[in-house]
Amino acid sequence: MAYEEVKVKKPLALRLLPIASLVFFLGTWQLIVDFEVLPSSMLASPWQVIQLFVVKLTEANPDGAVLARHAWTSIQEAFTGYILSLIVGIPLGLFMGWFVVAEGLARPFFEMIRPIPPIAWIPLTIFWFGIGLAGKVFIIWIAGIVPCVINSYVGVRMTNPTLIQMARTYGATDWQIFTQICIPSALPMVFGALQIALAYCWTNLVGAELLAADTGLGFLITMGRRLARPDMVVLGMISVGLTGAFIGVIIDRVEKRLLAGIRR
Amino acid sequence: MEAVANEVQKTVREKRPFTLLTILKNRWFLYAVSMVFFFWLWDFVGERRILGSSLARPHEVLIQLADMVTNPLAGKSLFGHIWASTQRILIGFVIASVVAVPLGLLMALNPYINAVVKPVFDLLKPMPPIAWISISILWFGIGEASKVFIIIIGTFVPCLLNSYNGVRLIEPELYDVVRMLGGNRRQEIINVCFPASFPAIFAGLQISLSIAWTCVLAAELVSARSGLGFVIILGMNLARPALIVGGMVVIAVVAWLTTLLVTALEKLVCPWKREIEGM
Amino acid sequence: MSVKESGVVSQEKGQDGYKIVCERISKEFIQKGTQRVHVLEDISVAVRKNEFVVILGPGQSGKTTLLRIIAGLEIPTTGRVLLDGREVTGPGPDRGLVFQGYMLFPWKTVMGNVEIGPKLRGVPKKERREIAARYIKLVGLDGFENHYPHQLSGGMKQRVGIARAYVNSPEVMLLDEPFGQLDAQTRYYMEKETVRIWETERRTVIFVTNNIDEAIYLGDRIITLQGKLPGRMHAVYEVDLPRPREHTDMKFLELRHIITEASELTL
Repeated sequence: MAYEEVKVKKPLALRLLPIASLVFFLGTWQLIVDFEVLPSSMLASPWQVIQLFVVKLTEANPDGAVLARHAWTSIQEAFTGYILSLIVGIPLGLFMGWFVVAEGLARPFFEMIRPIPPIAWIPLTIFWFGIGLAGKVFIIWIAGIVPCVINSYVGVRMTNPTLIQMARTYGATDWQIFTQICIPSALPMVFGALQIALAYCWTNLVGAELLAADTGLGFLITMGRRLARPDMVVLGMISVGLTGAFIGVIIDRVEKRLLAGIRR
Repeated sequence: MEAVANEVQKTVREKRPFTLLTILKNRWFLYAVSMVFFFWLWDFVGERRILGSSLARPHEVLIQLADMVTNPLAGKSLFGHIWASTQRILIGFVIASVVAVPLGLLMALNPYINAVVKPVFDLLKPMPPIAWISISILWFGIGEASKVFIIIIGTFVPCLLNSYNGVRLIEPELYDVVRMLGGNRRQEIINVCFPASFPAIFAGLQISLSIAWTCVLAAELVSARSGLGFVIILGMNLARPALIVGGMVVIAVVAWLTTLLVTALEKLVCPWKREIEGM
Repeated sequence: MSVKESGVVSQEKGQDGYKIVCERISKEFIQKGTQRVHVLEDISVAVRKNEFVVILGPGQSGKTTLLRIIAGLEIPTTGRVLLDGREVTGPGPDRGLVFQGYMLFPWKTVMGNVEIGPKLRGVPKKERREIAARYIKLVGLDGFENHYPHQLSGGMKQRVGIARAYVNSPEVMLLDEPFGQLDAQTRYYMEKETVRIWETERRTVIFVTNNIDEAIYLGDRIITLQGKLPGRMHAVYEVDLPRPREHTDMKFLELRHIITEASELTL
């Protein structure tokens, strides 16, 4: 037999170093606060953050909502904006990739809006929608739509031209080529956009909530600063990071499943 | 050597008959139509006050911007505010890339450094840079330092990730070329690692740049006395839509120009990189 | 023309006067983290000075690994490689390798790619430019010195690869399926060029290919490998046809027939 399954172990040092590094990081952080290297008004220790986490599971004060409600508000806003940006951005990008007229008409709009960071829309959205859900959804929608359009557009553009010529020789119409060849071959790029768009959406959600919100994880961070409660700030940051990572994993799963369906 | 010359390929442009439809389907014609429509729509919505009084008309924005060039706003002219934001980005961007790019290269080249740095990096990576604004204000106050800190946090991640992946994705046989010609490990790194990871590093810088703009705006929206983010938040507080939209226009133009600058720099440094059609 | 079936050179026959000797090489390595692959088994080859030896085998027969072991890029699991009687412990400029996938540096021009060898050895700029220019001319690329690899066709890229390997004046040239990615016309032309270059710059050559015609056209001697892993030596054929050879020559066709018949048994 030429092939044989064997077990290969990494060197001991390489397996221990990551653990040691994390322990060192958390330990230093804890000690910096314990020995007041930084004043307690500037940094909370990991242990204080865990304590606050337990408290915030049930206690709404001083920021007006329990942790789960902050998280739920953020997820709701992020998902609404995200889904809307997929619904608009992907078809727009696909059309722009194949139809000259769509590209010619939509591209200047897109190119003029694109360089404006979504955060810069906050003042206008506060005028237009107030500080409720709609304004934040708008900002997240703007943030998510850019990678959706770009990836779908490039995906269609990268279709193998031989496939298109092959279809033409069989007498396929433009529309048939678009739906039967361009869209399927653009799909991997489109799925790539799902993750990128999500990351953009999540980043900009926090930005939107810092300025215009009364609940949400970004709001929790802002309140922590206003009340000079570093434990609240750090708890908010960690919640944002964990929730974002969690959603990322879910999207990744969905993406893998969908892609596996296509490859088959 | 004729046969060699024959291997060079030439592209020939096809000529199509010229009709009305060719004009209508001409890309530049459509762009022009689209631009005119964009500004007309903007003006229409502003004039009819469809979105309340919050959207300034294009000419109002232009007048506002022209006014800001000569009459200082909060102690700074328009260019003063542009420079305030750009300066913060430059400082943060330079500090982050000077640290992150070599660190990424080291992590890719040395598994032990990787084993130490990567876990902490992975722990901090999922936190959006904007989430750091509050803590940076607690640490550094509302001055320049807190804004630069946010930009460093935001640009650090893509700079490090791209230089790390840039090295890891190098075709291993390229190292064999240097080894076969008698090169040592140091020469492998200088002759293969660095140049081969350049395009990836530049891609990281491009991403960093757009994140840096988001970060600087967010920081300036939260607390600042100068900069373009300050201009639009001032417009909001004074209820002057022309100031808000004017600020956004200037941000768009400056952000676009900085992207162009990095692209031009990349072409200068990596002339071998093939261009891919598209955006 | 003499055909020597399964003429494996064993250790006892004496190796004096041979440029390269492979002694009972076998190789295992680990791929995808946990899969141990047995690639080569008991390979013994002896190559004379200035001989053109072709290693012929189908895909997945371990021929590239064998060449990489001779190059010193891989260490054999058992056995050893001798170059002029000294054991090979690593890669070095005394051997030049031409890669299947060209492996040019995309960030360097043709000149930059060719002069890299002398540059690594610290040869001053003017001098190494002169040497490089000579080999660029030898492979017929003069006038293309300032082109980047992506501006060249496949055949031209591989010429750069050959010039790069020759520029260090290695005593042994190792070519790993160098024309595998070229179209038939260019390939035939490149084979002719290879013979021309070999006749001007006489070297010991080990040439790996999966193409029987190419093997007979080029080689003084053909070593065939068995068509499945682990790769074992199958047979050795002496090709004493005069150069330039003709693909339609009766003896050429006869040898082609013999090798084809013999290799089909192992597939």
